[in-house]
Amino acid sequence: MPPLAGWTLTVTGFVGKSPALDHVMHLLVNDYFIPLVICLIMLALWLGHSDRLKRDRLQRTIMNAAVAIGISAAFVKVINSWSNPWPRPFLVNDSIIRESARHAAETIFYFPTDPTFPSNGATIAFAAATGVWLGNRTAGAILYFLATLWAVARFYTGIHFFVDIAGGAAIGILTSLFISKVFMPRIEPLPTWVMKLCRSLYLA
Amino acid sequence: MALDYFILVFISSLGVYQIAAIHAKLDGLCFFRHPVVQYIFGILAIIGAFGWFITSKDRNIHTSVEGSQQLGLFLGSIVASYLFTAILASIMQAKVSSKEGSPREGKQYDTGIETLKKTTLFGGIMSSLRRERKDKV
Repeated sequence: MPPLAGWTLTVTGFVGKSPALDHVMHLLVNDYFIPLVICLIMLALWLGHSDRLKRDRLQRTIMNAAVAIGISAAFVKVINSWSNPWPRPFLVNDSIIRESARHAAETIFYFPTDPTFPSNGATIAFAAATGVWLGNRTAGAILYFLATLWAVARFYTGIHFFVDIAGGAAIGILTSLFISKVFMPRIEPLPTWVMKLCRSLYLA
Repeated sequence: MALDYFILVFISSLGVYQIAAIHAKLDGLCFFRHPVVQYIFGILAIIGAFGWFITSKDRNIHTSVEGSQQLGLFLGSIVASYLFTAILASIMQAKVSSKEGSPREGKQYDTGIETLKKTTLFGGIMSSLRRERKDKV
């Protein structure tokens, strides 16, 4: 069992007590809803500035965030292939936590079969938010808010422990900082070539 | 589920392109001449696509559309939607231009989507082809 496993019991205990909250969480925890909203915001930032230089800068930011999403997701795969430190909350030995999490997942979501640590969703959402935040504070703050909502929803539905979420968020943030500040500047002129290719195809 | 996701992204990104085109002044991507109409169309496309996707079925089920497949579908869909937007806007604006008798021309050295501020995708491609031919001569 991971540290702070008891928090899962507290949070999943709310499931079934407020149908309105459960409905909201049913939407927020969805595999497509928040990730797609995040991607559409990034798409809007890619195009949505009238000043050419500012748009170029934003497009670089979005490219960095997109690369960070890909690298952090690959990093999670590598971690999963090496270790799977604990099962999902609805599969643990502690029967009280297991039954509470099972009830929450069954009511709102489904039973995922992939490893729980680190949370894949938290990793990519926080990687995207950090990447965007480095280039546009307002959009970055909105993305952090959405990433937090998604992470909270996944915790509430009993499919992750708090440590899974925190670990995923930390990996996403650190990977994104590394990609934006160190990796992408080091691999120049490759990003510039990609931008030129996009420009020649009327995509940037 | 994969097809549903493709349609969701296609329609919602269509809405995003219309709204972003107003802010970026990319007239070559606009379906409508009036920004308010275009804004309403964009919002309705986004809300409609999400509304349909969420309410039509229970989407919180274990499916085969995961991770890399979701990314591939997303990228394919936004590119398809972009091409659809650019081509449809080209056709619609060509009609308007021929009626007015004043075809739009791109600036000589604009490249990429910057070109779409003054002309449509077709107009941009034609002007760059003309420029290349001129350079060869």
